Amino acid sequence: MSGIEINKKESLLAAANNMRWEIGENFHDTLMESIYADAAVIAKKSVLKKGKKEYTGWEQKLDKIVTSRIFGLPLMFVMLAVVFWLTIEGANVPSAMLASLLLDDVHPLLKEFSAYIGLAWWLDGVLIDGAYLAMAWVVSVMLPPMAIFFPMFTLLEDFGYLPRVAFNMDNLFKRAGAHGKQALTMSMGFGCNAAGVIATRIIDSPRERLIAIITNNFALCNGRWPTQILIASIFIGAAVPAHIAGVVSAGAVVGIAVFGIFLSLVVSWGLSKTVLKGEASTFSLELPPYRPPRILQTLYTSLIDRTIFVLWRALVFAVPAGIVIWLVGNVSFEGLSIAEIFVNWSDPFAIFIGLNGVIMLAYIIAIPANEIVIPTILMLTVMTAGIEGAGAGAGVMFELESASATQDILTAGGWTLLTGINLMIFSLLHNPCSTTLFTIYKETKSMKWTIVSALLPIVMGFVLCFFIAQVYRIIIG
Amino acid sequence: MYNQILVLFLSFLILAFVVWIFWPEKGLYAFIKRGKRNSKKILVEDALKHIYDCESKNLTCSLNSIAGNLSISADAAANLIAKLHKMDLIEHGTDNVVLSSFGRSYALRVIRVHRLFERYLADETSVHEKDWHIIAEDKEHLLTDLQVNELAAQLSNPMIDPHGDPIPSASGEIMEVPGIPLNSLTPGEFAIITHIEDEPGEIYKQLVAENLYRGKQIRMLESNKERIKFIANDEECILAPVFASNITVKKIEKHEEIREEFKRLSSLKIGEKGIVAGISRKCRGQQRRRLMDFGVVPGTEVRVEMESFGRDPVAYLIRGATVALRKSQSELIYVKEYVKEEELN
Repeated sequence: MSGIEINKKESLLAAANNMRWEIGENFHDTLMESIYADAAVIAKKSVLKKGKKEYTGWEQKLDKIVTSRIFGLPLMFVMLAVVFWLTIEGANVPSAMLASLLLDDVHPLLKEFSAYIGLAWWLDGVLIDGAYLAMAWVVSVMLPPMAIFFPMFTLLEDFGYLPRVAFNMDNLFKRAGAHGKQALTMSMGFGCNAAGVIATRIIDSPRERLIAIITNNFALCNGRWPTQILIASIFIGAAVPAHIAGVVSAGAVVGIAVFGIFLSLVVSWGLSKTVLKGEASTFSLELPPYRPPRILQTLYTSLIDRTIFVLWRALVFAVPAGIVIWLVGNVSFEGLSIAEIFVNWSDPFAIFIGLNGVIMLAYIIAIPANEIVIPTILMLTVMTAGIEGAGAGAGVMFELESASATQDILTAGGWTLLTGINLMIFSLLHNPCSTTLFTIYKETKSMKWTIVSALLPIVMGFVLCFFIAQVYRIIIG
Repeated sequence: MYNQILVLFLSFLILAFVVWIFWPEKGLYAFIKRGKRNSKKILVEDALKHIYDCESKNLTCSLNSIAGNLSISADAAANLIAKLHKMDLIEHGTDNVVLSSFGRSYALRVIRVHRLFERYLADETSVHEKDWHIIAEDKEHLLTDLQVNELAAQLSNPMIDPHGDPIPSASGEIMEVPGIPLNSLTPGEFAIITHIEDEPGEIYKQLVAENLYRGKQIRMLESNKERIKFIANDEECILAPVFASNITVKKIEKHEEIREEFKRLSSLKIGEKGIVAGISRKCRGQQRRRLMDFGVVPGTEVRVEMESFGRDPVAYLIRGATVALRKSQSELIYVKEYVKEEELN
C-alpha cells in the first residue's frame, strides 16, 4: 500500500470512530424502536382484524384456576400422576405382547434357523443371544411406554397447560438458579432422560439450559421404575409386616422419585453457584393461548420425533452392548469368564459400599438402556454364584415370571436388605444411559459437560451408598 | 473387623475436607490458584497501571504510592522501579516516576484488556456487577493479543467499558470522556451519570449497592460539604462527598427524559395498563435484546395479565402475546400513563 492509501485508511477509521462517539451507545435501541414504530404504521394500514379477540370468558377463568394458590399445585400433581399411571398401566399389555413375540417366538425361531444352516456356536451366541436379544429387549420394554407417554405429554403441551406449569413453578426453580421450564424437561425426563435432554431446547437461556441438561438424570426415567418396583417389593416389602408390605414398598419407590426431584433442585442450585456462575442467563417465557390440541399431528410428531428417534438411538447402542454382554459371559481365561474375573475383582470395593460386583458389571455393560439392567443382573448372578437349573445360559439375559423366583436367585447370590436399598439409590444416582449421554453431547456439543453429567451422579451415588452402608452396618450389624 | 463408627466418622471428615479444598473462592484450591498469580509480570503491569492512573489525574507518582497501591514493602517497590527502568518502561526518578512512551503503550494495552473484559462480563455473562473488576483485574494479565482482538471483534469493538471509561483502541489511542464530578452540580440541575470509578473497590461496591449505574438520570437536590442529596429515578439518594466524587455526570437540559415520574412495570397490578417509557440501562446484553425482541420498546402498550401462584413471575400482554417476566426484569422497565382497572371501563 502506498503512503497516500494508508493515510486515507487512517482518516476513514478516525472519522468512523468520531461518528461512533457522536451517535452514542443507544443507537441500537433507537434503531429497534424505529423499526417497531414503522412496523406498527404498516400493520395499521394493511392488516384487517376480524372482530375483536379479547382474553376473557373461559380462558381467563381457566387461567385463574390453573394459577390459583389453592388449586394450582394439586391440579399439577393430579395431571402428572394420571399421565404416569396411564403410561405404566397402559404399557403392560403391549410390552408383554412384544416380549412374547420377540423373546418367546422369534428368538427360538432364529436359534433353530442358525442350527439349520449350521452357524458356528460362537457366531450364533454373539448374533442371536447377544445382539438380537439386547435389541429385542430394548424394543419390548421401551417402545410401549414411550408411545403412550410422549403423545399424552405433547397433547398437554399443545393445549397450553404445560407452559402454565412452567409459569407456576418458575419461582421455585428460580431459587435453585434454574428456569421454570425445567419443571417440564424434568417431567419429560420421568418418561425418558434422552427425550428430557432434547426437550431442554425450549429453554433459551444458555446457563439454565445447561443446568436442566445436567440435572435431567435425577428424574427417575421409565427404564428405572421397574427396577425400583421389583427391588422394593422383594427387599423393602419383605422387611416389614406382610399387611403393610405393599404400601411401604410403593412408598419407597415414590420416596426415591421425590428424592430425585429434591436432588435435581439442590444440584441445580450448586451448579448455578459454582461452575455455571458466569454463564449468560436470560429469562423469557411465552404463554400461548389455550387451543384445542391437534390430535393427529401430535400423534405423528411425538411418535416420529420423540419415540422413534430415542428408540433408534437406544438400538444403535443396544446391539454392540448385547455383543459385549454375551462375550463377557463366554470368553474365559484360565477357566474363569471375563464376567467372573471382573466381579471377583470389584467385589471388595462394591461390597464395602453396600453393593456387589455383579451390580457394578451390570451397570457398565447394560449402559444402552436401564431396562436391561435387571435381566443382566439375573444372568450374571446365576453365572457367578453357580446356581443350577435357572437362567438361559452364560451371556443370555432373562427375566423371571414371579418376584419370589427373582428373590430366590438374588438371595442365593448373597443379596441383603442393604444391597436392595443401595441398588435403589444407585439406580437413581448413576451415569445416564448411553443414549442420554450421546444426546447430551449432541445438544451441548461439549465433551466437558457430557463428562460432568456422567460423573456427577455416579460420584454422588458412590458416596451416598457408602454412607448408607456404614450407617446400616452400625445399626443392624 | 474394623470399627464401623470410626470409619463413618473418618469418612465424614474426608468428605468435609474435599469440600473445603474445592469450595469456590474460599477453598484451598482457589487459594493456591490465586497465590500462583502473584508473579513478577503482574507486579510490573499493575505498577504501570498505577503510574498511568497518577499521570491521567495529574498526581505525582512516588515510590511510596506504588508500594501502597500494590501493597508491597518499600524495598520491594524500589526493586520494582529499578526493574521498570531497566526495561525502559519509565523515565528515572523515585519521587516522580514518569512513564516512557513504551511504558505508556504497555500500560494502555493492559487497561484495554481490563476494560474490554469488563464489557464482556457485563454484556455476555451473568456475573454480578461487583465481581467485574475483580475478574478483569485477573484476566488483564493472562489474555494474549490475539485473544484480546478476538474478544473486541466479538463485542463489535466497544468504545466504553460498563463503568463509562473509554477503552483504548488496539493502536493505543484513548478518548477523553467529557463530564464533571457529581459534587459540582448545583441544586435543581438534571444530569446523567456517565462514569462510576471502580477503584477503590469498597466505595464502588457501596455505589453499586445504592443502585447507581451508568446512564441513570438524576436531579440534584442539595450539595454541601457534609452530604450530597439527589433524586435518582424515583428514589432519594444521599452520599458523602468522598463517595460522590467517584461519580462523573453530564448535565442535560431536557426535562422530559428524566424518569422520575415513571412507574416501574413491576408496580402495576393485574388489569392495569401502561405505555413503555424505556428499559433501564442496568438491563444489558442478551437480556436487553430479548426484551426488545418481544417488543418492549418505548411506545408499546403493556397490560398485566396474570400472576403465577408464587406472585413471581407475572404475565404481561405485550403486542398480542402473553409473556411472563420475572420481577427482576419487570422492575427494570419504566412505564407511563398507566391506567387503573376502574378507569378503563
